[in-house]
Amino acid sequence: MKTDVQLPAATDLKKPRPKKAPELPILERRNWLIHLHYIRKDYETCKAIIKEQLHETQGMCEYAVYVQALIMRLEGKIQQSLELFQSCAILNPKSSDNLKQVARSLFLLGKHKAAIEVYNEAARLNQKDWEISHNLGVCYIYTKDFRSAEEQLNLALQLNKHDLTYMMLGKIHLLQGDTEKAIDVYKSAVEYVSIHNLTFKHTCFILYTMLLGKYQKAFEHLGNALTYDPNNFKAILAAGSMMQTHGDYDVAMNKYRVAAYSVPESPPLWNNIGMCFFGKKKYVAAISCLKRANYLSPFDWKILYNLGLVHLTMQQYASAFHFLSAAINLRPRMSELYMLLAVALTNLDDADNARRSYEQAVQLDESNLLVNLNFAVFLYNQGDKKAALLQFQEMERKVNTQVDSNINTEFDPELVEMAQKLGAALQAGENLYWSKPGKDSKSSQRSSSSKPSSSQQPLGTNQALGQAMSSAAGYSKSMQITAGAEPLSPSTSCHLHRSVHPNLQSQIFRCLFEWCIILM
Amino acid sequence: AVRCSALEWSGCYRNEEIASSKWLDAHYDPVANLYTFSSCIALSDLHGDGENKLVVGDLGTGVCNVKLKVYRGTGVLSESTLLDLPTGLVSFLMDLHEPRTPAIAVASGPFIYVYKNLRPYFKFTLPSLEVNPLEQDVWSQAKEDMIDPMTLKEMLEGLRDKAEIPLSVRSLRFLMLEPQEMENFVLLHKEQPIRRQTVITCIGMLKKNMADEDAVSCLVIGTENGDVYILDPEAFTILYKMSLPSSPTLMDVTGQFDVEFRITVACRNGNIYILRRDSPKPKYCIELSSHPVGLVRMGKNVVVGCTHETLHGYTQKGKKLWTAYLPAPVTAMALMDLPTRGFQAVLVGLANCEVHMYRDKNLISTIKTPDVVTSICFGRYGREDGTLIMTTKGGGLIVKILKRTAVFDDRDSAPGPPIAQSIRLNVPKKTKLYVDQTLRERENAVAMHRAFQMDLSRLRLAAARAYVKALESSLTPMSASLTEPLKMNAVVQGLGPSFKLTLNIQNTASCRPVMNLAISFLYDENLYSMRTAFFKIPLLVPGLNYPIDTFVECLSDKGISDIIKVFVLREGKSAPLLTAHINMPVSEGLALN
Repeated sequence: MKTDVQLPAATDLKKPRPKKAPELPILERRNWLIHLHYIRKDYETCKAIIKEQLHETQGMCEYAVYVQALIMRLEGKIQQSLELFQSCAILNPKSSDNLKQVARSLFLLGKHKAAIEVYNEAARLNQKDWEISHNLGVCYIYTKDFRSAEEQLNLALQLNKHDLTYMMLGKIHLLQGDTEKAIDVYKSAVEYVSIHNLTFKHTCFILYTMLLGKYQKAFEHLGNALTYDPNNFKAILAAGSMMQTHGDYDVAMNKYRVAAYSVPESPPLWNNIGMCFFGKKKYVAAISCLKRANYLSPFDWKILYNLGLVHLTMQQYASAFHFLSAAINLRPRMSELYMLLAVALTNLDDADNARRSYEQAVQLDESNLLVNLNFAVFLYNQGDKKAALLQFQEMERKVNTQVDSNINTEFDPELVEMAQKLGAALQAGENLYWSKPGKDSKSSQRSSSSKPSSSQQPLGTNQALGQAMSSAAGYSKSMQITAGAEPLSPSTSCHLHRSVHPNLQSQIFRCLFEWCIILM
Repeated sequence: AVRCSALEWSGCYRNEEIASSKWLDAHYDPVANLYTFSSCIALSDLHGDGENKLVVGDLGTGVCNVKLKVYRGTGVLSESTLLDLPTGLVSFLMDLHEPRTPAIAVASGPFIYVYKNLRPYFKFTLPSLEVNPLEQDVWSQAKEDMIDPMTLKEMLEGLRDKAEIPLSVRSLRFLMLEPQEMENFVLLHKEQPIRRQTVITCIGMLKKNMADEDAVSCLVIGTENGDVYILDPEAFTILYKMSLPSSPTLMDVTGQFDVEFRITVACRNGNIYILRRDSPKPKYCIELSSHPVGLVRMGKNVVVGCTHETLHGYTQKGKKLWTAYLPAPVTAMALMDLPTRGFQAVLVGLANCEVHMYRDKNLISTIKTPDVVTSICFGRYGREDGTLIMTTKGGGLIVKILKRTAVFDDRDSAPGPPIAQSIRLNVPKKTKLYVDQTLRERENAVAMHRAFQMDLSRLRLAAARAYVKALESSLTPMSASLTEPLKMNAVVQGLGPSFKLTLNIQNTASCRPVMNLAISFLYDENLYSMRTAFFKIPLLVPGLNYPIDTFVECLSDKGISDIIKVFVLREGKSAPLLTAHINMPVSEGLALN
């Protein structure tokens, strides 16, 4: 291996000897330096070296072009980077890596079909690449071809059990509404993924248990995940919203403080903080926070929904009307929104529109008892006993189907109480679930236990509101005739109270999924 | 060069740092002008006098001024020019001769330059790679003048796209040339044999057959095309060759060549491969989720710093042990080894001007630096065992000495509950006015709602009326007629009293041209005058923009302005197709009499 002394390339170029041919510099001689700067994120120096190297090799140095393209992509110049990757692929048509990057750039540009083609080409060069199969699967998700996506992701899992693939596969099943398959995926993810990736394992476990409806377990794991990474914004939001659902407003607020410090301009965060204040009956603060959330994300119907709810509680019906109608414009197919709008309209003395709004709500609704109950109460107060009875029977039907299919056997005590009162007034409802003697013992206990609780004001109940409601013309009068001295106020407070929940739960789901995806 | 003494420099940190610091600031030269990486720094007893020197392969400006510098104490002992950028540098004992002075091996391009007593001693060149036989054939034909340069070019291009073995530099260079340069190039090069070279990307060393501190060591080198060679320390012959699927970037070697060894190599494809004595192929592979920036062996485990601001610990079989999250990207890593105290830790230089010291996944100490650290080296310098040497991005050189009283807690000093938890939420405050308005709304909600609905209906009515009126009188900037779909906008230029009025007219129909149009202006003749207040416009081809200029003179010097109305008319119809109202600006100039 001993060789004669030769001058190295760099100096050779400058003073070529007359007879001997100059030693040609090796094209790849600066690759290591480019790589060193690239991984240290020193992009300016890196670009300078690349420029020099490309000048020396007249653009033939594949690695220099490759890194330049990577840097451009980081700088957001995706189209230019795509062109550079394509020239890399011309310089070295055998490398599946170059094709993978071309496809990746196409993917980032939103050209999913083109990306799929290039990935397929890359897959021909390299059969056993986890990354290609995985990314193909992701592309297929975007083109809504879930079957191919599933196929590719399963292929990726066979090659290498990566966390990300499990996540994506679970997502496909959820997108298709196939919860059971999603549960299977998360279950196997929990089994296969190495113990070292604790945060991921927790994520999977949380999803798995949540899908099974075991919120308590999911919550424990969320807590565990937070001990590993106490500043994770998404996890905080998810944990906080769960605490909030269970009424732990102070603990939730503690968590949100951490989140607000790191991400001060998050609409979901301010929405949840606002609802915490609402739960603690600090209505002005709640409105302040919700309005901030609304300012940050004006087209989020959930925030508008909550604003409508808080304003209803504050008896600011005119404002509530505006927030609710804005929410309906953004999400025109949600029955609860129409119901709340109808409540606002009732209080604004616009019975005709309130009725129309209730009709819309009933038409859109599938399983919410409150919609029918509130409509029935409204109709009853309007003096339309016949229609009220119809709504009441519709509610009965829903109760029975829910009980029969065992979806829900525990009903909100306030709702039960109201329904019983209305049933008595309408002389109906004897065959309802909670009034049947066989099963009565438990529910009657519940409703009796709910009586002291109604005196100690359950969440969202507002005595002032109740009074305002009962002072509406013809309202208390009719009730006094039929149901005795009891005013009907709990009904309104009851539906206000209940409607907090569906909203918060949907918020939790959203946070968790985003959180999982961010984690990857 | 400006040099600050330890005392001067420590001034900026005195207040908060010095008291609790575990380090003495021995030397800081912010303008040492060093551009280097951890792989190009070594501490070595070059003269065998028991005093360690600092050897730095300085990349200079990245193009020229490339030097091998040797520091002793706070000053440069010697400098020698290197011919090309150094990729790595090691200090090793190559023989058993007395006195036992180590040699310095500098890897640079395809060569290793070996220095002994700071004098050039030997140069090793990487073996040539296999040349494509077809390429050889083509060139030998060219040598015999059997084919002309253009044919040569075509044949080589064909080879480049298909061949398993890549082309040599000569062919690639040839393919870059302009046709007129080809002839000369072939003449110049055809006599030379074709060679395919690669370059060294990393270098390490491996004890030959003894584990002693002063045992003879082999050089281990990694090359751009993914090979790893182990060289004989004296003869510089290749003892062993292994190959990797990608170019190596970082290397850690342990064991003895004759007994058992383990080479851990981080590669450019983001994987780490572990090579062992018994197999020329990697034994284990660690797939990382991001590129490795630093690789350090601590005892039997490997610690890897990655670009995703993480630090991972792996066993020597590639099993993941732990992950620590870093606050900033990694810039440099090194092992801190104090055998006398039985203490080992990993030093991680971060882009936020800090150096973190990790023991497993626990952060045990943090050092603040005046600049981002680009290379770290810990060891014996001079006669001091615990010396930390760092170079910075700005070219500075920092030397710190570990205090003998310094004790490192093995506890994790990462913070417990986040501090942010006690920071008050910034909830927007509401004013008294807001509360008053709320009360007003509560009392008058129905009336407010009705008033609002009424006004909303009125607004809609007014808007609808205005719209109908605009449509009826063609006041819109877009014509509503189906036969002449036109668009117009107007621009006024100038300060006055003369203004230039440009009307941009466009026919928005898909294919039909519009003919027989005229433009007329209506204005206050006491205020403005126009040369032509009525003219015809040419045929309008669909899609094109027709700018039509005309000049307006302002007659008033009282600083008042008015509206000029523009009508686009069709011959034979009195109702305009389009109307535009131009708000004229106030004339700022005075008319010359």
